[in-house]
Amino acid sequence: MEFIQTAVAWFLGLGSTVIVPIVLILLGLIFRVGWQKAVRGGVTVGVGLAGLFLVVNLIIAALQPAVGALATRLGLELALVDVNWADAGIAWGWPGVAGLVLSIIAVNLIMVFLRLTKTLWTDVWSYWHGSALAGFVWALTGSVVWGVVGGVLYLVLGSLMSDVTAKKYQEFNEMPGIGVPCGTTVQASIFAIPVVWLLERIPGLKDWDASPEGIRKRFGLIGEPAILGLVLGVIIGIAAGYNVQGILGLGMQVATMMLVLPRMVSIISEGLVPITMSIIEFMRERFPDREIYVAVDCAVLLGHPAVMASSVILFPLSILLAAILPGVKMLPIASLAVVPFWAGAVVPYTKGNVVKTVIVLLLFSIPFMYFSTLTADIHTATFANMGQFTAEIEQGLQLASWDMGGDPLGFVILNIFKLFGF
Amino acid sequence: MSKLIVVACGAGINTSTIAEDLIRERMEGEGLDVEVKRVLIADIDKYIGRMDLVVCMMKIYREFDVPQLKGMPFLIGTKAEKQVLLDEIVELIKD
Repeated sequence: MEFIQTAVAWFLGLGSTVIVPIVLILLGLIFRVGWQKAVRGGVTVGVGLAGLFLVVNLIIAALQPAVGALATRLGLELALVDVNWADAGIAWGWPGVAGLVLSIIAVNLIMVFLRLTKTLWTDVWSYWHGSALAGFVWALTGSVVWGVVGGVLYLVLGSLMSDVTAKKYQEFNEMPGIGVPCGTTVQASIFAIPVVWLLERIPGLKDWDASPEGIRKRFGLIGEPAILGLVLGVIIGIAAGYNVQGILGLGMQVATMMLVLPRMVSIISEGLVPITMSIIEFMRERFPDREIYVAVDCAVLLGHPAVMASSVILFPLSILLAAILPGVKMLPIASLAVVPFWAGAVVPYTKGNVVKTVIVLLLFSIPFMYFSTLTADIHTATFANMGQFTAEIEQGLQLASWDMGGDPLGFVILNIFKLFGF
Repeated sequence: MSKLIVVACGAGINTSTIAEDLIRERMEGEGLDVEVKRVLIADIDKYIGRMDLVVCMMKIYREFDVPQLKGMPFLIGTKAEKQVLLDEIVELIKD
């Protein structure tokens, strides 16, 4: 018994960038992708994870003092550092990820078989939302099993929301047979349904629109991550009272972060491709002649021109809103990257109307601002439990994000666990 | 010069990697000298004039002067559907 405990402790002591490739190689072999692809995929995910944490270290070093200085100067409460998709690192790096992947596949197959859902959860990459939440629950309860339960519950609810939204996505984007059950995106659609209904009934607002092409021509540059980062960094530098050298330096650091963070996430996702392909085929073969929605990543919703047009308007508005709202402690910077995905989920409901999309999403972002603040302690504890950024965390660093720290559904699930005394 | 296939998706993170993998594997299998490049939809413009084929993972509301294919079957299709699409790509790129 003691030997097993020592062995487990030794294995966990290897750290996520070593454990994850091993776990993924095993998963690859379970799903019969073949030795070579399993090894290549597993190692790629580990590299992406290590790269992701490198970039997050950069972000922390650059942004923590800047946001701190800005908050002090302007008398704001912004104490949290926005790491947004670093949460994908929690998702693929926490100790229960293999259990979560196998559990959601099993639960989803049973649910589709019993006709409880039409959505086949084939989008392995997007398990990350559930898996990141599972990591939070693990940090809260100290139990990997409860983590998996929380994560699976989140993903199951995602598939039910996808059932509601799938037809709309299919018609608007001309993609028959798909569904998008992923994370905060599908929640944006559910939120949009009543809000758009209401907006359609407000005289004056009903027909107000802006031309997406016009906005793209005028502000399109802001839609490019590096440029957006540069502009934000410079503005934050000025507001924080930096000198010119500091302002330009911060601008380039934030630009780097905005471009490189998603690239690192992309490396993780690349490594998952062989497993994903194999799981899609494995799951589809089980239901050859039934109407099902095959889950795909929310990126497929980004095609309409109104998506970027709405996003470039939302970027400055949501930063201002976060600065003004009392009690919000995170200035969204890295988290802005999730806004286009939300826009993609809302545009089918506003029929591409930019003004309505902006209104819906500005309202939608408010709970994210508060929930990301409220979950910062557990969010930070999760990184600490994984052995990441421990020195900085000991010195008082607190991390937050919209996606997944601010996720409303995740917030509810976390609080259900708290109700049970965790 | 080798031919260029551009695989475009919304975020350049996930969906296009799957298509890129399959297309590259097939091109190598056919012994064709083809470069496969994964890009964001906004970045397609950078490859106009240089690219020979665009595979879009979703509807993008634009047209180019080279053939354009929908890549969705790579994501959700059966093995046979993927094969059909890959055959079509080989046909187009050989021309």
